[in-house]
Amino acid sequence: MAASIMVAEHSEIIRKGMLDILHHSGLFNQVREVHCAANLPEMVSRYKPDILIVNPAMVDTNIRDELANGTDYHLKLAAIVYHFYEEDKLAVFDEVISINNTRAKIVKKLHRLLQKETVQNKTDISQVLTAREKDVLKLLVGGLSNKEVSEKLFISSHTVMSHRKNISRKLSIKSLAGLTVYALLHKIVSLEDLQR
Amino acid sequence: MKEILITGSAKMANILTADRRAMVLMPRFGIDMGFGDKTVKEICREKKIDPDFFLLMVNVFLHPHHFPDKKLQNTDPDLLLTYLANSHDYYIREKIPSLKALVDELLEKLTFPVKDQLFKFFTDYIEEVLEHIDYEEKTVFPYISDLVSQPNPIVSTRWSTGYNIRLFEEKHDNIEVKLSDLKNLLIKYFPPAEDRYLRIRILNELFDLEQDLIDHARLEDKVLIPIVRQLEQNKTQP
Repeated sequence: MAASIMVAEHSEIIRKGMLDILHHSGLFNQVREVHCAANLPEMVSRYKPDILIVNPAMVDTNIRDELANGTDYHLKLAAIVYHFYEEDKLAVFDEVISINNTRAKIVKKLHRLLQKETVQNKTDISQVLTAREKDVLKLLVGGLSNKEVSEKLFISSHTVMSHRKNISRKLSIKSLAGLTVYALLHKIVSLEDLQR
Repeated sequence: MKEILITGSAKMANILTADRRAMVLMPRFGIDMGFGDKTVKEICREKKIDPDFFLLMVNVFLHPHHFPDKKLQNTDPDLLLTYLANSHDYYIREKIPSLKALVDELLEKLTFPVKDQLFKFFTDYIEEVLEHIDYEEKTVFPYISDLVSQPNPIVSTRWSTGYNIRLFEEKHDNIEVKLSDLKNLLIKYFPPAEDRYLRIRILNELFDLEQDLIDHARLEDKVLIPIVRQLEQNKTQP
């Protein structure tokens, strides 16, 4: 999965070091740098990176509103820190990368971040259901009974039924046939899965 | 909200202009539009329709909170069965084909695999509707006819198999649910596919059909089933 990333950091040493890590991580097909806070909004708006690694000193806490106001654009924010910052200053970020983190650790954090569901992503169609609900849906649509699902996931039948109710309520789809179409459309199951 | 009951002196045209749902009732009684300013009573006399029965059906069909208890006792079940058979005709000959034509048009614009998924869901749904109608006509209606015509319950084989009207009640909900699901799938989850107005047309049909089925089911629940229950009771207490 090709993702794009942008680094906003005024220190050249740190910025270049980060770029090196990003280039070698194999996670990104586009890596861009910004060294001046003034350019940041314009750069983000033009290139729309999936992740922005930014020095908190370069931005305000309303950074999300400033940079990613459009409803279609989901920007994940990572802070690069080498000073002490108060917790509320960092609260707006989805991830924090410390200057002390190893290369491996940084890559791991970014990888996890790419897959993370952010607050904005909740409006994304596939993110309406929780991970657990998707697990249950997948099995139900595959033809398992409530009891079989409960055994497979090590939860009670009651919990399975509760998940099923929540799923139907969230999606406004009640029949198993309808849920199957939903699951197929959102790639929660594939046609091959169902044919088995 | 207090519902104003329709009486025999009401003008048929006014009923239709007040509530467009009443339009589909006309063919089920063999009434064609173009009846001018005639009242319900006049049209029923002309077409040889039992006016009490007509008013009972219209009021239950249009008014969700109307309880027809008192009027049911003298209702001829055969009239009811004829009405229901005519309703089925409407679904089979009119509603389903028109819906199917629209969906076929939509399918042409979609790409795989979405196309197949919609096709399968819709075809299965139509099949269920047709099966349900078939079930009503081949099992439920003859059962009811038997109840009316057979003086001795032991003679009727359907009775002896333990069938009763409760089984019929349970089958209603399935179809309504799938229809609602189809609506939501089209509104929320099927991706756009150059079909803006087509999708709106389909949804209009679905909204209409949904309302009609709800009203139709209400007739079955509030009129048909109580009558049949009464007939069943009469049989067990000779």
